[in-house]
Amino acid sequence: MDIGAVLATAGNLMLTGMIGVFVFLSILIGAVKLMSHLVARFEQPESESSAYSPSIQTQGVPKGHIAAISAAIAQYKANNN
Amino acid sequence: MEGLLNLWHATGIANFSIPALIMIAVGCLLLFLAIAKNFEPLLLLPIGFGAILTNIPVAGMSDPGGLLYAVYHVGIDTGIFPLLIFMGVGALTDFSALIANPRMLLLGAAAQFGIFATLFGAILLNFVPGFEFSLQDASAIAIIGGADGPTAIFLASKLAPDLLGAIAVAAYSYMALVPIIQPPIMRAFTTVEERKIEMPQLRKVSKKEKIVFPLMVLTLTAIFLPAAIPLVGMFCLGNLMKESGVVDRLSNSAQNEIINITTIFLGLAVGSKLAADKFLTVETLGILVLGALAFAIGTASGVFMAKGLNKISKTPINPLIGAAGVSAVPMAARVVNKVGLESNPHNFLLMHAMGPNVAGVLGSAVAAGILLALVG
Repeated sequence: MDIGAVLATAGNLMLTGMIGVFVFLSILIGAVKLMSHLVARFEQPESESSAYSPSIQTQGVPKGHIAAISAAIAQYKANNN
Repeated sequence: MEGLLNLWHATGIANFSIPALIMIAVGCLLLFLAIAKNFEPLLLLPIGFGAILTNIPVAGMSDPGGLLYAVYHVGIDTGIFPLLIFMGVGALTDFSALIANPRMLLLGAAAQFGIFATLFGAILLNFVPGFEFSLQDASAIAIIGGADGPTAIFLASKLAPDLLGAIAVAAYSYMALVPIIQPPIMRAFTTVEERKIEMPQLRKVSKKEKIVFPLMVLTLTAIFLPAAIPLVGMFCLGNLMKESGVVDRLSNSAQNEIINITTIFLGLAVGSKLAADKFLTVETLGILVLGALAFAIGTASGVFMAKGLNKISKTPINPLIGAAGVSAVPMAARVVNKVGLESNPHNFLLMHAMGPNVAGVLGSAVAAGILLALVG
């Protein structure tokens, strides 16, 4: 076995391997940053919609509120007539 | 009389050879390390017992038809056992620290220099009479520096099955010795001021990010390095099962029953490779020396990378966390935390070290993929 030639191949492998690992993990860094950015952007409108959700859920509105709103509407109508 | 003679020939005493007895002693040493010293007992206990079983004459546990022979061919020859363990490790891993600070991947990458430098060192050892490592052998030995048992066994079973026993024993022994090997190197290459550096608290990572992460790693591996897919794919599957939160039963099985059952048989199968004719060679000695070298170089290069990052980064980075880049989860991160506390009793680096620690797992899987693609 020609050790010199194998040594040259091993040196080459060392260089290629380290470059490969660094390039792959650097791409992964970029991808993770992009992913976090996108997830944060998509999460924003969702949290806004969840902030609106209590007003959309009419079943959950207390009876007292409905009574008060009905009374206000009735008063508005009475005033306008 | 003839019956008695036949009975005598069927006893162990009549059949024991000196090399087999030495290997049984090695098995007992592994059992001692596991039970009395608590060195990686989950692996070293079944490996030690497997070594004893395989060297008992007449029983033929590792001969065709024997239990250990069958277990080895079913689980390790095919690569199934290390991959099942990798799935469990994925289900046990939390990537939050890495997602919060993705630059830590660079530390995981730098620590892989231990692998590639050792590859070169193994070939260099061929100048010493008695050593004849091929490029495949050297690659399988070098992966010890990845400090990742399943990855080392997977790669060794593909590239150098004859050296598998010695490589697995070296990998797990050195992983158990992380608290002894790493601190002197970490102290030697850092100043007291550097070790005192406190790092800002990590941001909270959302569930969505944690779910997308394994899928993203899988996609990138599929595109750039498909040779690493067996390892990375199973790892990502385990992690996705954990993070998705919809298959808790499967995730729990992967983390507990599957990984435990596989560990028993993986240990026995590795132990079955500790036969006298394969282990009692000068090459084993070389593997043990190269393995320690790989660990030391990996630790040092991680620390140097962290020092470099600290110089150019706006937020401070404690160079100690670079040492956790050699994987050996979570032992290496705990060691970083301990060494950090010695210099600054208020500095808890554990969470910060988990980033490079899990990056090291990915890094060694990627390095294994590269070696498989180039040498396999």
